[in-house]
Amino acid sequence: MEPKMNAYKCTQCGQLHHPAYFICRQCGNRTFEAVPLEGEATLLTFTRVYNLPEGYMKPWIAFGIARFTNGLCVSGQIDSDYIAAGMKLTATVGVVKEGVGKDYFGFIFKQAD
Amino acid sequence: MRKVGIAGVGHTKFGRVDGSFLEMLSLAAVEALDDAGIKTAPGSVDQVFVATMGAGMINRISGVASALVDTLNLRPAMAETVENGPASGASAVKLAYMAVASGICDVVLVVGGEMMRVVSGWEATDFVATMLHPEAEYQYGLTLPAFAGMFTRLYMDKYGVTEKDLAIIAVKNHENAMHNPVAHIQLVPDLHAITEDEDAHVINPYVAEPLRMYDVCPVSDGAAALVLCAMDIADRFPGKPIRVAGIGQATDTHVVAEREVPTDLLAVRLAAERAYRMAGLKPEDIDVAELHDAFQILEVAISEEAGFFPRGEGHLAARRGDTRVGGKIPINTSGGLKAKGHPLGATGVSQVVELVRQLRGEGGGRQVQGARNGLAVNFGGFGNNVVATILSREEE
Amino acid sequence: MIIDKMEQSLRPPETPMVPYPAKYITLASGEKMVVHQIDREDVPRVLEAIKPMITVEKDFYDVVAARIYAELLGYYRYRVKDEYCLVGTVNGVIAGQVNGRMLDEKVGMSYHTMTLKRGLRIGAQLFAAKMEYHFDFLGQEEVWIVAESPIGFRRWMIEYELESRPEQWHELGGVPTFVLTKALWEKHKANKCTGRRPVSEEMLATAKKLILP
Repeated sequence: MEPKMNAYKCTQCGQLHHPAYFICRQCGNRTFEAVPLEGEATLLTFTRVYNLPEGYMKPWIAFGIARFTNGLCVSGQIDSDYIAAGMKLTATVGVVKEGVGKDYFGFIFKQAD
Repeated sequence: MRKVGIAGVGHTKFGRVDGSFLEMLSLAAVEALDDAGIKTAPGSVDQVFVATMGAGMINRISGVASALVDTLNLRPAMAETVENGPASGASAVKLAYMAVASGICDVVLVVGGEMMRVVSGWEATDFVATMLHPEAEYQYGLTLPAFAGMFTRLYMDKYGVTEKDLAIIAVKNHENAMHNPVAHIQLVPDLHAITEDEDAHVINPYVAEPLRMYDVCPVSDGAAALVLCAMDIADRFPGKPIRVAGIGQATDTHVVAEREVPTDLLAVRLAAERAYRMAGLKPEDIDVAELHDAFQILEVAISEEAGFFPRGEGHLAARRGDTRVGGKIPINTSGGLKAKGHPLGATGVSQVVELVRQLRGEGGGRQVQGARNGLAVNFGGFGNNVVATILSREEE
Repeated sequence: MIIDKMEQSLRPPETPMVPYPAKYITLASGEKMVVHQIDREDVPRVLEAIKPMITVEKDFYDVVAARIYAELLGYYRYRVKDEYCLVGTVNGVIAGQVNGRMLDEKVGMSYHTMTLKRGLRIGAQLFAAKMEYHFDFLGQEEVWIVAESPIGFRRWMIEYELESRPEQWHELGGVPTFVLTKALWEKHKANKCTGRRPVSEEMLATAKKLILP
């Protein structure tokens, strides 16, 4: 089954959060339900990083901060030759870090059609 | 609350350090104690704070403060290690201030230190990245330079900051460092060579676009130390202590993507406001400042959030030369993190050491004439925990 | 020395190799580094510059220096086939060297890189110059590379995306071989290789002084 990314919706006031927090930022409630976080996003800013940390063997990776239509802003990797602030992206979920025994999944943004 | 001052300072040469972590801390510590005329004997110091981010992770040492007390022969002094990422140093100074101001302590020793060069550059980058959010940031391979790069792009798009502006600031800091014997880098890059020369794109490559190699601070080892004391026992010390006039601190969202205004450094603004309020001072009263320039864009942004220049004009001030020694508000006379170096736990303490030296008139070739009030801003995480410290020289 | 039949038989036949056209690079300090190919008669000078490193254990300097010494001496005494050495100088002072040889028309065998003037990433510039020689002037298709220092090498491995070819034995032996192919060179050279030509006669004359650091 393909891994999914979630936002966390406060069961009391409906405020969306990503990543998960202990306390709702709007009403102080402490329970949430997971809802899918997917679809179209707008790129706010980006960078190509050439000095990656331990564990990454590529010469560079492109990263960005993108805003989903529901208002949530997240960081992710960008898989696209063309990158410009303001462009429309589609969120996909992929391996963002290879681990020992397990891989880590996160947002990989591609250029929207 | 009692008034608190700084009676002694110590600072190792930043860069490559031989010897053990504890020896490095001790060198800075005894320099500060000697400067304050304090014996390394039981009872002479009430409390020791050690500021370090990596002692546990990189150097595999815990309980560092307790170990330092013993090796310096200061038992049974109270002791704690303080960790606030790159702002560990200023946090340790804050806690030392509170210990003295509360009346619990008369004399407190603060030592900040980091020994990062024992691991490779990739491991150091990874270690620093652990302050980012584990699921939302760290696991993506995001690093502090990555966020600095994204922040720089936003700043360039919004305010017209150019790559050359950042290089101008870097060169200024390197020039200042040539007058600071403890600075890591004793070499001034040539502005044209790193910006417009035909070879510049290879000689000064991108690290995290649009930030280039010469916009980013080096990886350094080093330690710095301070002796804080109650001003009401100032006559015990050889020189008049420099007063800690104001301290402010604030936190912001952990996840950088969640910052309300992406080009704002809200925690800097709030921390500085609180420090000014406590000191009864305004930005115009500050004569010299040490601002956390791990990435040169931060010197620009912090100078604005600290109230020295209107939003979006920090880079224009740098172009005009306002932030040079002799300018309107000299920034990073020590060489800043860029040229002085950035051993994470030491930096916040090192910034305060520079302010003390300036206010004492010991700045040598980088002295700001008649400096009376100094501001230091120490930036933790990517701006989610910031500590501002204001020092003032009291008139006789 | 007298070149009799015996000596002649011990000298490898020389393949004509296009000489490396000298270039100069403006370093971050504003100083200009000239990169030029030395002749055999310059080798003793370069050996003197390398010699002190033979006892420096840090960062594998000792192994690298000892090997370079042997390689250059072999070139000097006509016992290595088709070897070259490029030297970087700043104001005539030796700042670093790179060497290697042609295995055959298509394949280059990279030997070593040594930096003597630290703090300006001269090693990276000289390594790129070496690759420039193999691909852009000698017209080769791939260069085989090994390294002693894990940190220095890992950076090149990542930055040039070198191909791993562990089954291919490298003359220097022991460690796994990595390969820079022409395609990879074309992909990365714009970001890695720089410099201007021609070098003025005056600059070249200074460079040829090969002053010991």
